[in-house]
Amino acid sequence: MDESPTSGRLPTIAASIFVVCCLLASAKLVIDTPGPGSLKEDEVARRSDQRFAALKAELPQQGIVGYVGESGNRAVGDYYLAQYALAPLVVEHSPNHSLVVGNFLASPPEIPPDNLRLVKDFGNGVLLFASKDAR
Amino acid sequence: MGLALTAVTFCLASGYVIVAWGWPRRSSAFPDLLLRAWLATGYGVGLFSVIFFVARVLGLAHLIVADVGVLGLVVAAFFLLRARDMPPDAPRSSEENSRFPQWFGRILTASLAITLGAALYSAVMRALAHPHGEGWDAFAIWNLHARFLFRGGEHWRDGFSTLIPWSHPDYPLLLPAAVAHFWTYLGRESQAAPAIIGLVFTFSTVGLLYSALFILRGREQAMLAAIALLSTPTFIAQGTWQYADVPLSFFFLATVALLCLHDDGSREGAAQRFRGLLVLAGLAAGLGAWTKNEGVLFLAAIIVGRQWTAGRNLGKSTTLAGYTGALLAGIAPTFVLVAYFKHFVAPAGDLFSNPATMLHRVMEPARYWAIIQWFVKEFFRFGGWVIPGTVLMVGLYFAAGKDDRRTRETGFRTSVVALALTMAGYLAVYLITPYDIYWHLRSSLPRLFLQLWPSAVFLFFLGLKGGSCRAGMGHP
Repeated sequence: MDESPTSGRLPTIAASIFVVCCLLASAKLVIDTPGPGSLKEDEVARRSDQRFAALKAELPQQGIVGYVGESGNRAVGDYYLAQYALAPLVVEHSPNHSLVVGNFLASPPEIPPDNLRLVKDFGNGVLLFASKDAR
Repeated sequence: MGLALTAVTFCLASGYVIVAWGWPRRSSAFPDLLLRAWLATGYGVGLFSVIFFVARVLGLAHLIVADVGVLGLVVAAFFLLRARDMPPDAPRSSEENSRFPQWFGRILTASLAITLGAALYSAVMRALAHPHGEGWDAFAIWNLHARFLFRGGEHWRDGFSTLIPWSHPDYPLLLPAAVAHFWTYLGRESQAAPAIIGLVFTFSTVGLLYSALFILRGREQAMLAAIALLSTPTFIAQGTWQYADVPLSFFFLATVALLCLHDDGSREGAAQRFRGLLVLAGLAAGLGAWTKNEGVLFLAAIIVGRQWTAGRNLGKSTTLAGYTGALLAGIAPTFVLVAYFKHFVAPAGDLFSNPATMLHRVMEPARYWAIIQWFVKEFFRFGGWVIPGTVLMVGLYFAAGKDDRRTRETGFRTSVVALALTMAGYLAVYLITPYDIYWHLRSSLPRLFLQLWPSAVFLFFLGLKGGSCRAGMGHP
């Protein structure tokens, strides 16, 4: 033993207060936790894998495809989720590719974006375009 | 299911053998076993990740052959190296002088059980509520990389394309490659893999904190520290987010704890016997660099900190060279791996893309002021506590005082210097960031604090006077 134990109320009182505050934080942790009744459908799977399943089956196994989508708050997330679903294809946010994924959850365009022609409408705002220059 | 269990067995067994390799003694004491088990999970997942990445680079089709080969090599090396003398565990002294009254020990035990139960409940429910992780980085970075590695076959490098810079293709691959390795055994993608890895790292970090402090400072100090970490809401929540920050915090803590255990053990001589702990510390630091870019910064900070404090404390250059050599021996394998990844696979990172603009930013005093303000604010609001945990710890420090002997030790000082240098490095990155500084601070500063939090809690309770006094690593 290389340290003599010392006694004192102050450290015990301070440690007790510390533990009580830790228990309070634990209570907060539990309160903020989603309960069994609030478990909902997984939004990431719904907006990515489920949404793009049919399109993925018709795209090549690897390579690069383009992407066009909506603007607004959700647009960036929608694009990331499209890439997440379609990996290992690289999905570049650009219409300058022979195949271009269209992602229009709110309102599909009435006419295809410039220089693109519609190949297939998979429903639910998921479209596949091809470049007019590509054969 | 059978193959999944095989994968878990390979992972844990290889991790355990690595830890046993560097361990200085045969011991069946509970804290010792516990510490080795927690370390084994981290090293096991780390090695699993490395095997997958190397197999991808070499184009190996049969991963299980690579696993069996690596496990065989590790076990063979273990038996060859362990042929040297290894002292058995001496009878452990059961004497434990506590500074606290007995009733307080019972309160601590009950509180630990409550906080552990609350943390487990919260972590599992959060993992179930968000199977793809919570927050964007899980699917936009970590799990996306895992998908590229798993689905990509021979085209796995496509995932590190400059066409998708937002996915941070320069981020290291410990987490994605480990997830992809488990998926390969399962034969399909299952969100259970990243979710369980997240939970394992979260609770292994708590277990590592508890068992290392148990050995160094006794049960009560260990329980106080574990309670503090388990009741940090942000730590438990982030552990389920499928981000790499909690795994990184595990490797930071493992490095720091092993350095302190090494110094504790070699204090009374027989330093050679404890060199294995330095190698393990280096390996943990290296795996941190394979987890996130911040790990590279920490690795550099540990080397600098070690040179600085060990040089001052040890004096003899031969001893210092031995220390540094052992640490570097552990760092080297993963350093080579990270260097290969950065040079041959990953594109350049976004932070250092424009040196001229960086210099301009460094000259702006307003940026310094903004960063310091945010760091101070984060100090008070970090963790999501009801009353800030950092403030509580300051109060506890003033009430209990500092253990002068512990805080003078090389391992302790090295670790404090390393954490301080890492924090300074974070500050410097904000200074030069090409992003909007407020957005960058808001989106990442709490996670940077989180990476250092378990190590800070460990060092705080290690250096705090009080608790019980155990014999430590050198006197089992």
